[in-house]
Parts: sequence; C-alpha cells; structure tokens
Amino acid sequence: MSSEAKPVLELQNISKSYGSVQALTDVSFKAYAGEVIGLVGDNGAGKSTLIKVISGAHPQDEGRLIVDGQERHWKSPHDAMNAGIETLYQESGLAPDLTIGSNIYLGREIERKGLLGKLGFLNQKAMEAGAIKHLENVGITVPATKRTVSELSGGQRQAVAIGRAVAWAKHVIILDEPTNHLGARQSQEVLNVIKAAREQGLCVLFISHTLPHVLEVTDRIIVLRLGEVVKDAPTSDFTVESLLGTITGLTV
Amino acid sequence: MSTQEGLQGEVMPSFMGGVPKPSSILKNQRFVLFILLVALVVFFSLKNSQFFAVAEFQSLLIDFSALILIAIAETFVITTGGIDLAVGTTGALAGVVAAHMMQPMVTSHNNQALILLFGTLVAMLVGAIVGAVAALLITVFNLVPFVATLVTYSAGAGLALVFSGGAPVGFNPEASTWSTTGIWIFSWPVMIVIGLVAILGLVLHLTRYGRYNFAIGSNQFAARVAGINVRRHVSSVYVLSGVLAGLTGMFLYIRAGSGSPIAGVTNSANLEAIAAVVIGGVSLVGGVGRLSGVILGAAILTVVSDGLIFINVPPTWIQVVIAGLIALAAVIQTLRRGQRRTT
Ligand SMILES: Nc1ncnc2c1ncn2[C@@H]1O[C@H](COP(=O)(O)OP(=O)(O)OP(=O)(O)O)[C@@H](O)[C@H]1O
Ligand SMILES: [Mg+2]
Repeated sequence: MSSEAKPVLELQNISKSYGSVQALTDVSFKAYAGEVIGLVGDNGAGKSTLIKVISGAHPQDEGRLIVDGQERHWKSPHDAMNAGIETLYQESGLAPDLTIGSNIYLGREIERKGLLGKLGFLNQKAMEAGAIKHLENVGITVPATKRTVSELSGGQRQAVAIGRAVAWAKHVIILDEPTNHLGARQSQEVLNVIKAAREQGLCVLFISHTLPHVLEVTDRIIVLRLGEVVKDAPTSDFTVESLLGTITGLTV
Repeated sequence: MSTQEGLQGEVMPSFMGGVPKPSSILKNQRFVLFILLVALVVFFSLKNSQFFAVAEFQSLLIDFSALILIAIAETFVITTGGIDLAVGTTGALAGVVAAHMMQPMVTSHNNQALILLFGTLVAMLVGAIVGAVAALLITVFNLVPFVATLVTYSAGAGLALVFSGGAPVGFNPEASTWSTTGIWIFSWPVMIVIGLVAILGLVLHLTRYGRYNFAIGSNQFAARVAGINVRRHVSSVYVLSGVLAGLTGMFLYIRAGSGSPIAGVTNSANLEAIAAVVIGGVSLVGGVGRLSGVILGAAILTVVSDGLIFINVPPTWIQVVIAGLIALAAVIQTLRRGQRRTT
C-alpha cells in the first residue's frame, strides 16, 4: 500500500469502556482500499469491541472515526452500512427463521412498484432472484434461496453471511472470526472469499485466532493487547511464533 | 475463480441434502387444524342437529370475531418474541370508556352510525394509550414484556372497574341490533372484523412491517445490525395490539349494547387469545407463525366453547377441554422444535 493513497478508514485515538472495564485505549490505525488487515489479540483484547465501534453497533467514548476522508459519527449500524461498511459479527447476524433471500436483503428490502410498494408491500421474487446473483458474484451458489437459514449447516450459514457482507460493502468489510467452528475446507473457502473481496478493491478487516489463516490471507497485522495496539506491521514481518509472542506479550 | 469452484463444490450438495422443510410441516399443521375444525363442526352437528343452522353460525361468527382481533394482536406481539397479557382487559377498559363517552350522544342524537364511529375512535385511542404504556415500559425502562403487560393488565382491569363502578356502562340497545343485521350469516360488525383480518394478514406476511416483525423475533441482534429500528418497531407492535384490543372492546359493546368492565376478565380473553395463537402454531419464542394458523386456532376455540355449551356440557369442563387443546398444541410445537434442532 502506498502511503500517499488516501486511507478508506482511519481511527484516531479511539477509547471505549464498558462500565469499569476499559475495553479500548487510544486505538489508532489507517486502512486502505484493496488491503486485508488482520486484527489479532487474546480473548478479551478488545477486537470485537473495536469492530463494533467501526460498524456503529456501539459508539466510542472518545476518538475520531474517519471514513473515505470524512469524520463520521454513527447513530446506528444503518449509518455505517450506508457509508459502505459491512460487518460480519461474531454473534450471528442472520435471522434463522427467514429465508436466505430475505436475509440477504434484510434492512434493504425491495418493494413492489406503484401503490403497493408505497404501502410497504415487498417484491419477494425480485429479492430471491437478486440474492442468488449477489451470492454468485462472490462465488457462493445456493440453489434454493427460499430455504430458511435455520435449515443450513454452520458453514453454509457463514457462507451466506459473508456473501451478504461482500455483496453490499462499498468500502470496508469486517469479518469477526468468520472461520470459527468451520472445518478446514470451509475455512479455506472463507479465505478465498476474502481474497476475492480484496480483488474487488475492498478493505477487509479480518479477525481470527487461527494464526496460520491470518498469515496466509492478510497484508498487514494489527495486534491488540488489553485494549491497546501493541504492534502494526506488514504480515511478512511475522512468523506464527513471533505473532503468538506479540499477542501474549512474552516477546517483542 | 478458484473461490467459485470451492464454495460451489462444498455448499451445493449439502444445500440440496435431505433436510425436512419446516414450511411443509407448517402447512401440514394448518391442514390438521382445518380437519380438526371440520370434524368438530360435524361432531357437534351430529350431537345436536340444530348446531348446523344459520342462527348458530351467525352467533359462532360473532364469538369468533370477538376473539380473532385480540388473537391477531397477540400474534403480532408474539412473533417479535414478546407477549401481551393485557389484550382482554385493555378491550374491556376501552369498551367501558367508549360507552361512557357515547352515552350523552345516545340520549341526545339518533344517528347510530356516527355515535358508533365516535365510540370506535375513542376505543382505539384508549387501546393505543394502554399499548403505548406497555411499549414505554419495555423499550425505555427495559422491563420484560411479561412484566410490562402484567402492569397494563392489572391497571386496565382495575381502571375498568373504577370507571364503571363494576356495572355495565351505558345502555344502547339499538347498537346491539347492528350485530344481528347484515348479509346472510355475516352481521355488519363481523364483516368489518373479517376485512380487518384480511388486511392484517397481508401486513404480516407481505409487507416490510411484517418482515421486520419476524426478523426481530427470529434474531433481535441481526435485525438491529441490519439497520432495523428495533425499539421503534417493538413499540409500534404493542400500540397496534392495544388498538386491536380497543376495537374488540367496541365490538363487545355493540354486541351487548353496553360496555362491560369484566368483558375481558371473566371470559379470560387474554388467555384465549394466547391459546388461539399457540394452537395456530405460532412459536412462542418468536420468529415463526402464519396468520392462517391463528385464524384456525381461534375458530377451533370458538367452535369448542360454543359447541360444548350447545350440547349442555357444564362451562367448567369447557375450560378443561381448552386447556387440553393448548397442552396438545404446545407439545406438538416443542416436538417440532426439537426435531429441527437435531437436524
Ligand atoms: N457488552 C459488554 N458489556 C460489558 N463488557 C464487555 C462487553 N463486551 C465486551 N466486554 C468486555 O470488553 C473487553 C473486550 O471484549 P471483546 O469482546 O472486545 O474482546 P475480543 O478481543 O473480541 O475477545 P474474543 O477473542 O474472546 O472474542 C473484555 O474484557 C470483555 O469482557
Ligand atoms: Mg470477539
């Protein structure tokens, strides 16, 4: 990444606490289009909290969030979505009782034309068809988008969730432990989707505890420890051992 | 390119795999309910041939109409993962207040349509206020829906008694003639209720509002991060529930020709509404349900309670039979959920 390019996402001195728990302290970094950034750290290091700030799920207490050159204050996740930031949360972001198609379009429903549309009637057919297209664009084929998500396996759900995020993201896509609970093969597919997203010019924030995955797919790694950034360096600077050492704080 | 191959290869076969379709199970359940409904009608008709008559169907429809709107109110609430214990008592309160407000007009005017329209608006407003109180307790003070609506239930029942002094309010015998005139077995108020049921069914299953209802009940977090204003939606659902309860109160006023403070309590309408929803196959944890199931549930409850009276079964037993129906429906629901988990 050339340092002259404008960062698509910039965090300046972000801090956040939950009551007496200081989850984030003075976190700053820049992220560029077409870059995959690994966000690693021990349990409770603050990774999920950080991405919740970026995605508008929780506001920060202090610090600035700059997207595409503009300082932004999210009132809700919807604001971040409108600004082109899509997030795959560690908790499931899918509604299991709705169909795959309805989930892809959740919060972005297509309404029918004319008066019916003004009355809030939905064009379910268009959404089911659009969902297939959106998912295929990122290499996920679903023969039946009319199935409910509850009928899918964990890996399939994850594929749908990631597909949705990549389909709608304009600038940044955030993946919080997307390979969790997945088998080796399905994990590899998730990594491939991440690479595809990079090729589309998206900036990807990839959170994972599986260090070989992080080393394989990222361009840069940011290490969080107890809510603070302790290292921000190109991936080529790390090995599994040195990365583990940085995370636990036993080396550096 | 390799990504295309990979996910296709992995996802497709298992997508096509032999998972049972809940939708077909649901359809099945509604089919079973329909058969049960027909069987009940046949049973009571065989027991007493006068059951199968225009007059009886007319009164069945009236009783059904008194139940279906609050059952639908409950459906909207329960599919979001909540519950409204107050629909019956809110209806009673709304009926009493509306009766009280209409009484001066009843004695001075004689345009019944206008009087009843005014009363309907009052009843809807009272219902909306009670619903708004529940919504406030839930979305602002973070009470669980069970407790919040227990508050509005008690307050509504109490206020209805205070407001009326414990006796029926107002006397408008002309109003009750509205519930005996109409077309064939459909009286005017019944036709209005049926029209409302159709509209509410469309709203629940075909519009954005209904979609958000199910999304919130299915996974509130997912709904929130998809940009749905969960707090606003949940609030609106309790207000809607109150309005529908208010309309039911007005319906009961028209049927009786006066507002009864105990209409909702003695008939245990709160519980009957929830029973109709459970029998109709709506998941009590939210996210799943069809209005057609609830309509069948309410119809079955109506036929059972009226039919048992018709063949002279003591009312105390009717409660027991309804309890059995609820238990059966709940057990089926639990079994179905268990089945889904293991797949
Ligand atoms: N909603 C919350 N309320 C209170 N404390 C919280 C909340 N969410 C997180 N925390 C606390 O904030 C700190 C950071 O948590 P966070 O979930 O961001 O960690 P993480 O790096 O994502 O961990 P993991 O790898 O286990 O997912 C922890 O101490 C956690 O207990
Ligand atoms: Mg986390």
